[in-house]
Amino acid sequence: MAVINNLVLSKFLGLCPFFGVSKKLTNAISMGAAVTLVMLIASLSTSVIYNYILIPFNVEFMNIIIYILVIASLVQIVELTIRRTNIALYNALGIYLPLITTNCAVLGITLINAKEGYSIIESMVSALGAGIGFTLVLIIMSGIREKLEVSDCPKAMRGLPIAFITAALLALAFLGFSGMM
Amino acid sequence: MILVIVILTSIGLACAMLIFIMNKVLPAEPEALKKTEKIAEYLPGVNCGACGLPGCFAYAQALAKDKDLITTNPCMAVLQDEKMLGDLERMLDIKIDSSSMNKKAVVCCTGDPETISNYSGIETCKSASKLTSGFKKCPYGCLGFGDCAKVCPQDAIQIYAASGRNIAVVDPEKCTGCGLCVKECPNNLIKLVPADTKIVFLCSYDSIKDIPGREKCFRGCLHCRKCYKACEHDAIIWNKEKGIPEFDSAKCTLCGACIEVCPHDKLIELSKVTPEDKKEYKEKEKVGSK
Repeated sequence: MAVINNLVLSKFLGLCPFFGVSKKLTNAISMGAAVTLVMLIASLSTSVIYNYILIPFNVEFMNIIIYILVIASLVQIVELTIRRTNIALYNALGIYLPLITTNCAVLGITLINAKEGYSIIESMVSALGAGIGFTLVLIIMSGIREKLEVSDCPKAMRGLPIAFITAALLALAFLGFSGMM
Repeated sequence: MILVIVILTSIGLACAMLIFIMNKVLPAEPEALKKTEKIAEYLPGVNCGACGLPGCFAYAQALAKDKDLITTNPCMAVLQDEKMLGDLERMLDIKIDSSSMNKKAVVCCTGDPETISNYSGIETCKSASKLTSGFKKCPYGCLGFGDCAKVCPQDAIQIYAASGRNIAVVDPEKCTGCGLCVKECPNNLIKLVPADTKIVFLCSYDSIKDIPGREKCFRGCLHCRKCYKACEHDAIIWNKEKGIPEFDSAKCTLCGACIEVCPHDKLIELSKVTPEDKKEYKEKEKVGSK
């Protein structure tokens, strides 16, 4: 899940934070940590709900709306907890926690878990893998973009355009991993 | 159908209950965060970024750490508003001398309709100024596409298009002196002047830049020194190097003698640089030039 089925580069989920927060390495690490944490918690709770509520009552089609509800309130609780108990961590994660409330990568991984019919442990593992993959790509991208900032690049290509091209090349490179399976 | 509604409602209720319980159980918010939030309430909240920090909340955080920041890196919008300033002073327990820091932006051009070419490219001042330093006859003139108006967080800049002279006008009442427009103008026409300035000189054309005279702009400063001679209070200092008047607002009594004598109406009271006055004044000039 981390490299072969990378969320950003082969499933194209969570592209907004991928471009938005990959300008600085420190930001990228905090964002990656926040996303991984939320993914783990969200996968745990949604797979419990999916396996013990939705399947027995035969209402699996409801998963998207229920997941949004559950993830949003979970993120609220996590933010509240961190804010009240650990101010240093809150400052480090900062605005990223509320930002990822309904991030498509978080919703995406829970929906993938449901589609593949993973058990609770399996979905936790897949969420962890996805989170690590997301962080990895964010770190790689921010490292490249920090170098790109100072490179001699045509004026029209500076900033986002060159980042898009870099992302495309990265995606091609990551495609190579799927051949290793 | 009913089952679905029941499940969704109960999950929603469970989430709400969970948040409610967590809110009660957890300890109260740390003092530092509370203080920051309180400070943020007293800031304008327009997130103009003129202080160099990303948004008003970041400024509040910096202020909570170091309250001297209000003097070293003041928020211009706060300095404009007496009520906001008073609240913030009470909050931080500090006295702020606002008069020395308060600034207003002034577009130093009265506009000239004469062009040297027809420009039909991208309608921004930046791209127009890249082509042979603009399409206006005067290379230091306002191009009037309103790059400055677009960045103004207070909507204080308007473009007046009367008599073919597109010109940006800053409303000093609305201007907070944040300086965003100053950076935006490709011709460097916008200047920040102290808010207690009485008379402003609306021309960016001085003898250092180029030969003085009428051939570039019909309404440019003639460097005739009439204003300097007319002033009875020694409030005008003639800058010999640049050939333009400079003002000492402590001595100026706003008698209006210099405004009266200027053949090209280059001088105006700062408080009167409102769009309405400018419009009137443009019409007057138009008649004069015929």
